[in-house]
Amino acid sequence: MRSSWLVTWSVWHALFMREALARTMANRFAWFWMFAEPVAFVVIMIAVRELLGRVRFATGAEFIPWLIVGLTGFFLFREGVLRSIGAVDANQGLFAYRQVKPVDPVLVRNTLEGILKTLVLVILIVGASLLGHDILPADPLGAILAWASLWLLGMGGGLIVAVGATLVPEFGVVTKLTMLPMFLLSGAMIPLHALPHDIQQYLLYNPVLHAVECLRLSFFAGYRSLAGVNLMYVWCWALPMIALGLALHIRFAMRLKAK
Amino acid sequence: MIEVRNVYKRYRNHYSNGWVLRNVDFTIPRGVSVGLVGRNGAGKSTLLRLIGGMDFPDKGKIVRNCRASWPIGLNGGFQGSMTGRQNVKFVARIHGNGQSVDEIIRQVEDFAEIGGAFDEPIKTYSSGMRSRLAFGLSLAFNFDLYLSDEATAVGDKAFKEKAARAFKERVGQASLIMVSHSEGILKELCQAGIWLNQGEAIWFDSVRDAVDAYHQSIKPA
Repeated sequence: MRSSWLVTWSVWHALFMREALARTMANRFAWFWMFAEPVAFVVIMIAVRELLGRVRFATGAEFIPWLIVGLTGFFLFREGVLRSIGAVDANQGLFAYRQVKPVDPVLVRNTLEGILKTLVLVILIVGASLLGHDILPADPLGAILAWASLWLLGMGGGLIVAVGATLVPEFGVVTKLTMLPMFLLSGAMIPLHALPHDIQQYLLYNPVLHAVECLRLSFFAGYRSLAGVNLMYVWCWALPMIALGLALHIRFAMRLKAK
Repeated sequence: MIEVRNVYKRYRNHYSNGWVLRNVDFTIPRGVSVGLVGRNGAGKSTLLRLIGGMDFPDKGKIVRNCRASWPIGLNGGFQGSMTGRQNVKFVARIHGNGQSVDEIIRQVEDFAEIGGAFDEPIKTYSSGMRSRLAFGLSLAFNFDLYLSDEATAVGDKAFKEKAARAFKERVGQASLIMVSHSEGILKELCQAGIWLNQGEAIWFDSVRDAVDAYHQSIKPA
């Protein structure tokens, strides 16, 4: 008899290999889009800024590095949530093996997404540095911590959404819809520190904004962010969300499996 | 080896919530193969899923003192978008008890005899090819108890004979719980029988008696 940990580990290994293959080889452009999406956003925003006449967007950071770091950070969170929506359904056939629990594909997908997005960020950093931009993190450990916080935040959201969207499909649709406002409200593409304080204090309820700004603060030494940005606030969301997500998976394990 | 203790099961949905299984209670001793009979919808597959640990009873419990397979059958167990080889690899990794993954893949490929289709996605398979693969896969692991849910029903003659032969070779090491509507194979491979009727399970020491009782019940009055 193998121990529970050993069984779980072999399930994760098997699922990881399956998911990694499906994610990167699903179509010819799977790899391409991982890089094309952030690059396309950067290009569009540069064009917008040129049209506006080179407005000074972010204080204390170069514009393109600022954009790359924010976008990849937000995408890390977004993919964690969105990829989890289909995680249970896509692996329904594999629940025939009692070793595989519905929570396993969600965790595995999040891990895989974290690895892929980290690779994308590293390659974009290397590329931007070679082009002469100042993008190397000023505080690498802080950057890793903020990056990990975004990943955990996405995983917490993903665990909850995976249960919700599998049991009630509309939940998934609404989650997808909220991602556009979240994109804008998290300051990934448009800087929010120019907004009046009255509005800022409401925007600061959004943990993703805190995490994205903390990531930028550790990348750029002289960066001026919104007042009150705090990584601890992110953890106060991420950890309870993970706990709630795991609890939901325990509560609804049978319902998810039997669907 | 398998103890089913006062098991109740129902599926709650918008249409009905009646009990599928009511107070099912029996023990299957080691080395005894059992045939499950009953009309469509009697709960045969449900009982098999419960024994296989894919699902849990609403009341009562199931004690499993052996290595039981998953329910081998037409639906479930495969991911349609993955190729046969990838599916086999996946299952080999999950169950990997020191058996080498490559060895298992080779064994399954040999048994299934589906040729080049082994590297095509499962969703392109015919039901016969699926059952060949599913059956071959389950034989690659040394389970004490195989659960078969019409696993051989859609296979051709050659495959049915091969499957029956493979099981006979394992008599003594492994036993079988089998759902089937073909009497021949039940009588050939099983000793005892269970007749599921209106949510209740009736145990027969001889599978012939179980089949007879089942046939009596469906005889037009």
